[in-house]
Amino acid sequence: MSDPDFSTFETWRRGRQFEDFTVGQHFDHHWGRTITAGDATLFSSLALRYSPLYVNAEYAKEEGHPDLVVDPMLVLATVIGLSVEDLSEIGGPFLGVNDVEFDAPVYPGDTITCRSEVVDTRESESRPNTGIVTWRTVAHNQHGEVVVRYQRTNLVAKRRGGGA
Amino acid sequence: MKLTSANNYFEDFHVGQRIRHARGTTIDEVENQLLTKLVMNSAQGHWNEHAMEGTPYGKRLVFGFITASMVIGLATQDTAENAIKEISLDKIRFRRPVFHGDTVYAYTEVLDTVDADAGGIVTFKHWGVNQREEIVFEGERRVLLKRRP
Repeated sequence: MSDPDFSTFETWRRGRQFEDFTVGQHFDHHWGRTITAGDATLFSSLALRYSPLYVNAEYAKEEGHPDLVVDPMLVLATVIGLSVEDLSEIGGPFLGVNDVEFDAPVYPGDTITCRSEVVDTRESESRPNTGIVTWRTVAHNQHGEVVVRYQRTNLVAKRRGGGA
Repeated sequence: MKLTSANNYFEDFHVGQRIRHARGTTIDEVENQLLTKLVMNSAQGHWNEHAMEGTPYGKRLVFGFITASMVIGLATQDTAENAIKEISLDKIRFRRPVFHGDTVYAYTEVLDTVDADAGGIVTFKHWGVNQREEIVFEGERRVLLKRRP
């Protein structure tokens, strides 16, 4: 049997483009993520987050927490990560992230899920092949408490002639 | 046992104070590849070198929130070692791309200080600057800090 011609295989595409977004649309982002103590300690250590709350469980307990506190930058980066396929995987850098509020603390073993709503779509005057989309994202833990919320704006490639 | 510094409680910060943090860090593949995948960012522009060869960037980009985390990380010992809670971020901007091998340094200015029941809230403005002294990241951050014991 000869090897197949891979150029004939159909690509199952991922991600959305500018025309796919309308104001008011909601996305429940895929998978969720249980954040383990290993995730938390790895991230805090590699990112130089030198504060004992994030790396010393006994210190965090003395401060009134049940365990070490998961670095909020890990929580935020994870929520952004889970939202990428729905919102921004196809071309277009961040224009800004605003109003990031860290609400309930996250502890090792907590499971984060998140969803976003489209709050604005507009044309880019300087880059006609792209548009500008703003979303509001909210993430919850397994108890239904909000752990982080924010608003972000990206350039998003248009379907025709797009690409950033 | 005393685990934190004595010079970075709420009372140690005043509006207009400017801090150059002591250390910089080179962001290599180990940081961007490991952490970007750890947080399940599915945009392959951060981790597929071959796909990026055909783009204007020509190579993999560091995920912005890895840059943000490391710049805030470089500032964390000075600004959150005695934190009760990191409250919020705002006005996050990524002003230039960061690539594997770039080195970032962190600079901070104190924008505001407000008393709070449990301590005090300091608003910091942070900048991340690369080895060519170009700003790659900026953003504001509010931290609830302990008062001096």
